[in-house]
Amino acid sequence: MEAASKQKVPLQNRLGIKGWAWAGRYKIERYLYTLHRLTGLGLFAYITLHLVANGSRLWGEGSWEGTMNFLSNPGFKVGEYLVIAAFVFHALNGGRLMLQQLGFTLGKPKPPVYPYVDAMRRRRSLMWAVLVIIVGLAIYVLVKFAM
Amino acid sequence: MREVHLKILQYITAIGIFFFVGVHLLVSHFSSGDPESWTSVVSRATSSGWFALYIFILVFGFYHTLNGLRTIILEFSIPQRAIKAVDWTLMIGGLAVFGYAIYIPIKAF
Repeated sequence: MEAASKQKVPLQNRLGIKGWAWAGRYKIERYLYTLHRLTGLGLFAYITLHLVANGSRLWGEGSWEGTMNFLSNPGFKVGEYLVIAAFVFHALNGGRLMLQQLGFTLGKPKPPVYPYVDAMRRRRSLMWAVLVIIVGLAIYVLVKFAM
Repeated sequence: MREVHLKILQYITAIGIFFFVGVHLLVSHFSSGDPESWTSVVSRATSSGWFALYIFILVFGFYHTLNGLRTIILEFSIPQRAIKAVDWTLMIGGLAVFGYAIYIPIKAF
């Protein structure tokens, strides 16, 4: 009974925020986890700024045009590109996580024949495919922005 | 609401945001013309279709953002009482900002 109740307590996150930068001998998926959180927080910061900018239209055309002129400087253009790149990464990596967590990428059960292939390695091809699409889209958007 | 329900809602809102924000980005950043001009903004703001899209983006976006933020905070193994405080802070703060955010398209419509 006591053992069962102890099992319900989640493990302590001993590394804390440091685990985002380096978590021991983890593979690339761990760093995609960190990037997923960082892009999420970045998009959260952008949404806040976007709401403030959009709110300027409540004060009429002059206020809106003034805000748009202020946001048209090159610094904000770079920020705008980073937001779209972050959105692309967060969306596609999130899609990969959903497929994995809902069990769609587990594959058919196989007998454990040596050399064993663990679940993470079996899913690695999907991870690389998603990364290639992310990089491709990020380059495409960069070219569109530069033109 | 159990954690698994919050997670499923996180997935559903993610799929919704992907499509709604995708449309928003394609029109606002990759279309021809001047989508950020006052005339274009007013024209979109008074259209029922765009109004519905903005409301969906706000509802889905706010849930996804706040629940995502909650997930990040809870991963740091905070005590049970602090979890309650985080839940209430995010809910009250989120509703206040959501009220302001939804007022913008309603006023413009």
